[in-house]
Amino acid sequence: MLARRGFGRRGLLKFAIAMTASLALPPGMATAMADNLAKARRQSVIWLSFQECTGCLETLLRTDSPTIAALIFDFISLDYQEALMAASGSAAELTLRQAVAANKGKYLLAIDGSVPVADGGVYSLTGGKANVSMLEEFAPDAAAILAIGSCAAYGGIPKAFPNPTGAVGVEDVISNKPIINIPGCPPIPEVLSAVLVYFVSFGRLPELDDKKRPVAYFGTTIHDQCYRRPFYDQGKFAKSFDDEGARQGWCLFELGCKGPTTHNACASLKWNDGTSFPIESGHGCLGCSEPDFWDQEGGFYTSLAGGTGPGWRDAGIAAVAGIAGGAAASFAARHKTPKPMPETTE
Amino acid sequence: MKDFDFLAADRLVDALLMEVADLLQNLLSHQRAGTIDLLGLPLSAACLAMLEERLGGGEISAVLHVSGESQIRETAFPGVWWTRHADETGRVAALMIEVAEVPEIMRASKADMEHGLRRLSEVTNFAQTRPAI
Amino acid sequence: MTLLSFARGPGMQLATLILIAGMFWRLSGILLLRRRVAHAAARNPFAARLLGGGVAIFTRTIPRRTFWPRVGAGVALSYVFHVGLFIVLFGGAPHILVIHEIFGVAWPDLPKGVVVVASGITLAALILLLVRRLTHPVLRLLSTPDDYISWVIVVLPVATGILLSGETVASYGTLLALHILSIEALMIWLPFGKLMHVSLVFAGRFMLGYNFSRKGAAT
Repeated sequence: MLARRGFGRRGLLKFAIAMTASLALPPGMATAMADNLAKARRQSVIWLSFQECTGCLETLLRTDSPTIAALIFDFISLDYQEALMAASGSAAELTLRQAVAANKGKYLLAIDGSVPVADGGVYSLTGGKANVSMLEEFAPDAAAILAIGSCAAYGGIPKAFPNPTGAVGVEDVISNKPIINIPGCPPIPEVLSAVLVYFVSFGRLPELDDKKRPVAYFGTTIHDQCYRRPFYDQGKFAKSFDDEGARQGWCLFELGCKGPTTHNACASLKWNDGTSFPIESGHGCLGCSEPDFWDQEGGFYTSLAGGTGPGWRDAGIAAVAGIAGGAAASFAARHKTPKPMPETTE
Repeated sequence: MKDFDFLAADRLVDALLMEVADLLQNLLSHQRAGTIDLLGLPLSAACLAMLEERLGGGEISAVLHVSGESQIRETAFPGVWWTRHADETGRVAALMIEVAEVPEIMRASKADMEHGLRRLSEVTNFAQTRPAI
Repeated sequence: MTLLSFARGPGMQLATLILIAGMFWRLSGILLLRRRVAHAAARNPFAARLLGGGVAIFTRTIPRRTFWPRVGAGVALSYVFHVGLFIVLFGGAPHILVIHEIFGVAWPDLPKGVVVVASGITLAALILLLVRRLTHPVLRLLSTPDDYISWVIVVLPVATGILLSGETVASYGTLLALHILSIEALMIWLPFGKLMHVSLVFAGRFMLGYNFSRKGAAT
């Protein structure tokens, strides 16, 4: 199949070398990966889009990547994806059922978008069917589930307070299938292709952390890899956007950067094939690959050192309450009858 | 700061050269090739430059043209190769030290050779003068 | 909700409200207590009495020479701790940042190295103060659970702050959560234990000076 594209063993091995390096696997595994990829039949991927903005799909499609990353489409068969496929309506539904039946037990179920569960899941329907029901129907026959983007992983923006649709992540609905979360708003495209390559090569998901994210990409924080770290260590912070410090490229901690508590590969892999990432473009990290980043205390521009206090009105009420309590206590003390003097005996 | 960087780089490079020697010994004793993934290590640009300089150049220098350019260069130490894989845009996809008689990627694979023979026989009389392939 | 988001949100709100309510409670409670009526006439006008109160705050910062052999070491060590803590709290960039986010005021921070050294000295002084309390026969006799609880409540923010600035032992998120939670514990405890001296020491010295001035005594 690859030979027809003019792609021999060397091209495959170079691809495997690039993937093992990206996945932080021992370099010796490249040969095994290349051997497995040469023998593998195309992996069926069924992609269901739920309560999403399509940003995750767009980020994958707009990847300007040359052959090395685009090669992934030779190893997978994207059997169902609503935004990309030509069929629609009942023809699309038939495609889905056929793909599931043909690959029962072996397909990868890719989900983007959160799963609304309030009111029977009526807030996101495909062909009249609730997304939560679709997930419950198609998860059991999947080999594994890829929750792509922060919405599918944790609930994302629909889950932000007050979460009127009852949006949750995939793992809050399905508990008896291997799930891998690839969070980010959107996630870095190279991460998804590397995960797919790993699965096709080795038949299992790569090593995951406690939030089911691949350790190779989510094992370190933005702060650990950030090129502005020397400024953080030297105490050189931008105080406002576009001030002198900001123009010198100083650390954005005081402008709300959540880099220290955010796990992702943005600072090393960057975006748009290594062009830049938010901090390099002058804006602090939003923490978009961590759960509930939309609702974090103080918002995007309050530093990690700060948070949300009680507000001046409530502080005033507390002061008044304190004075009232203190006054009451002291008046109670005032009006205590003094103990009678002890009898003295001579 | 620059001098400190240089000092630290020196130590790291020494450690890596020790590892290369170890892998070369392994190759000689047990015929097992080894690889060091340089991008997976926390090496500064100064460190990488120093390492490349200390390893030096050898007798073979090759360019692989597939999915962009890859450069494979034997160092001053036979069996120790400096490999740099880049994609079509020139971005480095992998940087490695390979310890092997020949880096695996330079070998022609059996499947590729068979495929080549089939193509060659189409343009020659090879099939007519030999048993059916 | 993670530990960190609790610490930066509901925890901070609760601790701040308890701190404010508690401090106002205790201060107003003390101020509104019945005072013995002074039947003698005041020797100084009101303004002078107020000045006397203010002066006393400063004159009582150093013990009288007679007492130096007895209390000198303890007072000196305590000052090392307090000055060190002051440098860290008001010279450290992240603390200035918090004050700025709450009150809108800021000032230049001290170099990180200076703050790091000060924090180390602060921790060392704290540990030595505990050792002193445990080994000095009189102090050991006088010490109450309040003293030891207050020590723990103060050492935790200092220690977690040092770990956080070194970004070692645990993840940044965990260390930050622990640091903020330890400060919230301090805020909750402060009005109700001996830590209330942060306000009472000044109030107490002032009243002393005011009363001395009223009697015509030197302050």
